[in-house]
Amino acid sequence: MSMEKWNNIPAWIRWPIYALLGILLLTIVQGVSDVDRLTKVSTSREMLRWAVPIFLAGLGGLFSERAGVVNIGLEGMLILGMWFGAWGSINYGPWIGLLIGIGGGAIGGLLHAVATVTFNVDHIISGVAINILAPAITRYLSDEVWGSPTTSPATSTPDVYDLPILGGGTVAGWESPDLLLEVTNLELPFISDVAGLLRGLVTNLHFVSLLAILLVPFTSWLIWRTRFGLRLRISGENPSAGEAQGINIIFYKYAGVIISGGLAGLGGAFISTELSGLFQGGNSAGRGFIGLAALIFGNWRPGGVLVGALLFGYVFGLDLKDLDGTASHALLLVNTVVLGAVAIWAATKNRVADTVLAAILAVGAFVWWLSADAVPGWWSNILPYVLVLLVLVFFAQRLRMPKALGQPYAKGGR
Amino acid sequence: MTAAIELIGITKRFPGVIANDDVNLTVEKGEIHAICGENGAGKSTLMKILYGMQPADEGRMLVNGEEVNFSTPNDAIDRGIGMVHQHFMLADQLTVLENIILGAEPTNGGVIKFKEAEAHLAKVAADYGLTIDPNDMIESLEVGERQRVEIIKVLYRGAEILILDEPTAVLVPQEVEALFDNMRELKAAGSTIIFIDHKLDEVLEISDSITVLRHGKTVASMPNEGVTAHDLAELMVGSELPTPETSESTVTSTVALDVREVTVADEDGRNVVENINFQIHKGEILGIAGVEGNGQSELIDAIIGTADIRQGAMSLLGTDISNMSVRKRRELGIAYVPEDRHVEGLMLDAPLWENAALGHQTQSPYGSRWLINRDGARTQTELIKEEFDVRTPNIDVSAHALSGGNQQKLIIGRELTSNPSLLIAAHPTRGIDVGAQAAVWEQIRTARANGLATLLISADLDELIGLSDTIVVMLRGRLVARLAPEDVTPRDLGAYMTGAATQNSDEAA
Ligand SMILES: Nc1ncnc2c1ncn2[C@@H]1O[C@H](COP(=O)(O)OP(=O)(O)OP(=O)(O)O)[C@@H](O)[C@H]1O
Ligand SMILES: [Mg+2]
Repeated sequence: MSMEKWNNIPAWIRWPIYALLGILLLTIVQGVSDVDRLTKVSTSREMLRWAVPIFLAGLGGLFSERAGVVNIGLEGMLILGMWFGAWGSINYGPWIGLLIGIGGGAIGGLLHAVATVTFNVDHIISGVAINILAPAITRYLSDEVWGSPTTSPATSTPDVYDLPILGGGTVAGWESPDLLLEVTNLELPFISDVAGLLRGLVTNLHFVSLLAILLVPFTSWLIWRTRFGLRLRISGENPSAGEAQGINIIFYKYAGVIISGGLAGLGGAFISTELSGLFQGGNSAGRGFIGLAALIFGNWRPGGVLVGALLFGYVFGLDLKDLDGTASHALLLVNTVVLGAVAIWAATKNRVADTVLAAILAVGAFVWWLSADAVPGWWSNILPYVLVLLVLVFFAQRLRMPKALGQPYAKGGR
Repeated sequence: MTAAIELIGITKRFPGVIANDDVNLTVEKGEIHAICGENGAGKSTLMKILYGMQPADEGRMLVNGEEVNFSTPNDAIDRGIGMVHQHFMLADQLTVLENIILGAEPTNGGVIKFKEAEAHLAKVAADYGLTIDPNDMIESLEVGERQRVEIIKVLYRGAEILILDEPTAVLVPQEVEALFDNMRELKAAGSTIIFIDHKLDEVLEISDSITVLRHGKTVASMPNEGVTAHDLAELMVGSELPTPETSESTVTSTVALDVREVTVADEDGRNVVENINFQIHKGEILGIAGVEGNGQSELIDAIIGTADIRQGAMSLLGTDISNMSVRKRRELGIAYVPEDRHVEGLMLDAPLWENAALGHQTQSPYGSRWLINRDGARTQTELIKEEFDVRTPNIDVSAHALSGGNQQKLIIGRELTSNPSLLIAAHPTRGIDVGAQAAVWEQIRTARANGLATLLISADLDELIGLSDTIVVMLRGRLVARLAPEDVTPRDLGAYMTGAATQNSDEAA
């Protein structure tokens, strides 16, 4: 099938196929390298727990950058969300906690908007300032409110759910079957691996995880089908053109950046109230930054951000229970195959330099895999950034960042 | 009958310049009104004031007899005024439809009714005889089509008074004809059009009345009848109408640029320039004719070094430049006037003297390998300003404070004063007034007499025929014809450019 025909298939069919191919690859690698963690339930469950905050931060970045404002301050906004979410949850219960967390992040967003849009401060500088400010502010607040600069008391945590039928959830008192568990237990090659990974996505589900998944179609709809979305996009593509059509660019830039902060804040509140059950400095673990990486990886599209977040979440989730580094080591083989595929793809496009580079990297990953039994811990920490760098190197021409991203905007300029 | 537009005593000052000085303008309903004037005369500024983009310092505006006071373009749009800007205002990565409905989206609770918008667009387009595919991305469109999008954008909102700022500058002759047909249709449908143009024959062809601005003042306003291009030139710049004729040939036998079997691929691996061969001698001007998008830009990119070649070789004065970095090529004496001054020509937010150093920053007098020589650069910039008549209060203003034509003059000056051995000039006089045009032609001719080799690309076929020693025609990435300018008319050239006429390929190669 030609590339063009393939690209005409709707994305919601294409991506599951990619995902299945990916799992197939994992299964094969797993067979070769004698680890079983690559397709376990616990791995995909950890993946989701990592991926959700990354995704929310990345989606936040999408709103801001679609409006033309670079938001490197996502990490700081996420930290604000973590603190305010915990505080709200302790005082008013988990649901209000999430809302207050959103508010905390949005305040960070507002700050960024005032600096970059109104005062034309360089976007990176303002973002970095917020990243420095946020931990300091939350430290101070923690000390004032809880008497300890680094930790809060336990938050109240909302319930988790299992989906009925697929994951054995209970509906109106009826305990439904746990279909995926049964398939997993059959130990069929590949099929049981898929079921195992899927099961991690439908059991022990947090409300926010569900919400996050629903945000993908919602955001796509908002960005591409509504007036708000169109005007948000013009603010990041060509603000003067929007202005000449009578659009209040400043408003949309503010809106984008504040929503951005709110989403990052939700991600933070999710971490403190649901994942760790308390506010603890440092628990953000750089997920705001990785969200930004997911945004670039996902080509500034909601579905792409989700894919990026899941991928990065997988790497971290795998690493978490991988104390001896063997599972991450097995991933090297996956890298080899993927880079090999990139090399072949580049070769069909006559891109000599890319082909050579991808081939060298593929061989390098393979040699590393052969020569060691485990990889050091830092490797999985930097892997997301390595992936983004690779995407930038090989697919830069396909990336479509907003045209006026990062540029100062002055009303009435020409 | 009340006039559609009446501007009374409009004055607008910028730091160091008076862009409009007590300007009066009356435009009758249903007429095509041309505004002419040299670069920096204040035409664009006046139009921006009328469109609510910039406030006037003094003066009154009447629209259909009613006094108005615009503070944003929205106010002007509400009064039925629409403007197509000198530099396009489109978002490349949005579709035609999205660009058009922006700001006037039909919605249902905030959700855009794309079907309805598309139907309305189809109706507007049909009413005025304009065709466009609403779902194309802007980035995939040719200039002429982009312009059409700009015009439809304005009509979509029901504008009855259209302002077109230099609409023909970027068009090839066929497209200009199409635009004029559209303008006549619009007029027949009752619209009023104000348009700005530096090409006097075009002004005379299409307009009902003409207003001439000079140094920010109205110097004349008259009906078209009986006016000649000569009169207009006289009014605008106080001089004779220039023609782009070269004097006797200065072509030498030394080859400056040698391009052999060059092929360039685009990012998808398709060949957009295929197996091109040509030589330019010292003292020769080689003109490339072709409808935009037939590989000219890619060929230029390859020679400048901003695109890699897939096959072939290029040398300049015997030195192989095929794999040289852009900077090395520049240092070797390649000068470049890009087709879009805002994209490749200038740093709009930087002062003029920095812009003058751009591309020559490692060479005297602008600087050395590591450092910029401020004084040298400034002195040189002053020189360019004088010699090329760049109208600006000083060389410290940012480039976007210059009028479009003066930006162009700065670029030409920068490139020609660098003592190049090869000049690549894409539309060198685009947006330049008739007086300055003559000066630029003269500068190019002088440089040619001193042995400069020039590769000229221009949508202005008279310019191409008048200046070139040899003309080649480019179609779908190949050179399809080689012509002598003495015995070719713009009409013939147009036929070759569109593929209607052909030459057997031996002759072309
Ligand atoms: N934003 C600005 N800041 C400072 N000066 C400006 C600005 N805009 C225009 N000017 C100055 O006002 C004068 C008139 O400019 P304008 O763009 O109206 O000229 P124009 O008649 O449209 O010329 P052209 O034919 O070259 O487009 C010029 O001297 C220009 O330098
Ligand atoms: Mg102008």
